[in-house]
Amino acid sequence: MAQKLKDTILNPILKGNPITVLVLGICSSLAVTVQLKGALVMAISVIAVTGLSSLVCSLLRNTIPNRVRIIIQLVVVAMMVILVDQILKAGEATYAIDKQLSVYIGLIITNCIVMGRIEAFALGNKPIPSLLDGLANGVGYGLILIVVAFFRELFGSGTLFGLQVLPAGYVPNNLVILPPFALILLGCIIWVHRALDKDLQEE
Amino acid sequence: MNTNSNVYTVIYTTIVVAVVSAVLAFVAMRLGPAQSANAKAETLRQMMSAAGIKPTEELYATSNADILQLYADSIEEAYTIDLDGKENGRLSTAADKIELIDKLKPQNKAIKAGSGATLPVYIFKGGIAVIPIYGAGLWGPVWGYVAFEPDCHTIAGAFFDHEGETPGLGAKIKDEPWFREKFSGKTVEWGDEPAFRLEKNAEATGATNAVDAITGATMTSKGLNEALNVWFKAYEKHFGIAAFFAALSQHEISEETTQNEEE
Repeated sequence: MAQKLKDTILNPILKGNPITVLVLGICSSLAVTVQLKGALVMAISVIAVTGLSSLVCSLLRNTIPNRVRIIIQLVVVAMMVILVDQILKAGEATYAIDKQLSVYIGLIITNCIVMGRIEAFALGNKPIPSLLDGLANGVGYGLILIVVAFFRELFGSGTLFGLQVLPAGYVPNNLVILPPFALILLGCIIWVHRALDKDLQEE
Repeated sequence: MNTNSNVYTVIYTTIVVAVVSAVLAFVAMRLGPAQSANAKAETLRQMMSAAGIKPTEELYATSNADILQLYADSIEEAYTIDLDGKENGRLSTAADKIELIDKLKPQNKAIKAGSGATLPVYIFKGGIAVIPIYGAGLWGPVWGYVAFEPDCHTIAGAFFDHEGETPGLGAKIKDEPWFREKFSGKTVEWGDEPAFRLEKNAEATGATNAVDAITGATMTSKGLNEALNVWFKAYEKHFGIAAFFAALSQHEISEETTQNEEE
């Protein structure tokens, strides 16, 4: 049991990472990784949404009519996304970041990781493992987001969390700020991940 | 229980939707005051950024409470005008009474209908006049604040914002400081058609009332151009006359000085 729980938590972060292995959630990982601050807020938001939606759907799993289960899942996920958005808008420090992330907070609802984990895991498992599975998938997503944002902010603006780290003479690389570079970076991360993990390599 | 029967499905979905709406309504009510305080501070930041009270970055690094204080220190008066350019109301200069951008939509309609508009003018210390603009972008509303020098002719600064323009394209009207900075020092030619041009290759004509549209954001630029011109037209009678008198008195002063020199 303990081993299974450990797998539930660690698998989405490493071997079954939603971005690098399942290749889900690419759109937002290209869009919100220009700055670490935005990426961090996005990561936390997605972790909250995946975790809580999985928990709620798992609690409801035996009562949901099969024919409308996708719609019910959508309603639950939409509620979580709106809650996150409302809370971000109410915080003085997060208001500006929420405006900067603009549509992408709302678009968490279309992030395949959320619905994917509910369909694949939460509907067939007990609430606590479902919550952990949701959170872990959110963490796996957020981890990649932060790694990508780290490189993009460092080389694209010469800063980290808005603080200047590279010497003042550094000329920011404009390609790094554009979404295509995030895709290149993501490709490199997938490459490194597969090179290190023999199980992921195809024949 | 048969969870697949029609009756069950209908009742189940109804309950789920009712519960979800109740939760969301409750949360929206509880967080409403905090959100509107943030929105007010944001509006003040945008206005003061346009008026050049402080650099935009500094304004965004300032806390809400300090922004309210800064506004109270720098605002001189605020009033509304009708489409004939006559003053038709006073606005409170208290920071928590500031009109949010959702007030601009009905005004936009009133301008287009040609009557019933109460258009705000904010006068900051030093005679800088700030007016809002509002219009439709590609995906949603675009708006902004334009500040005029005391001659009512030269633009002192501008700030633009949007609800959901494409990040990296239309969103540049807000995200790229160089775009709004281009407006500083430009002029609005009151009475001309159009009074201002935000168009492709407009800067190449050498006109002082022209700024190049953003490449790749044609619809956003078009929408912003229309918003600017519709609102400039609405303020034309107010600022056009003021600009005329400002230019006249300037002319008189310079004539007087030449006379003095001759003497």
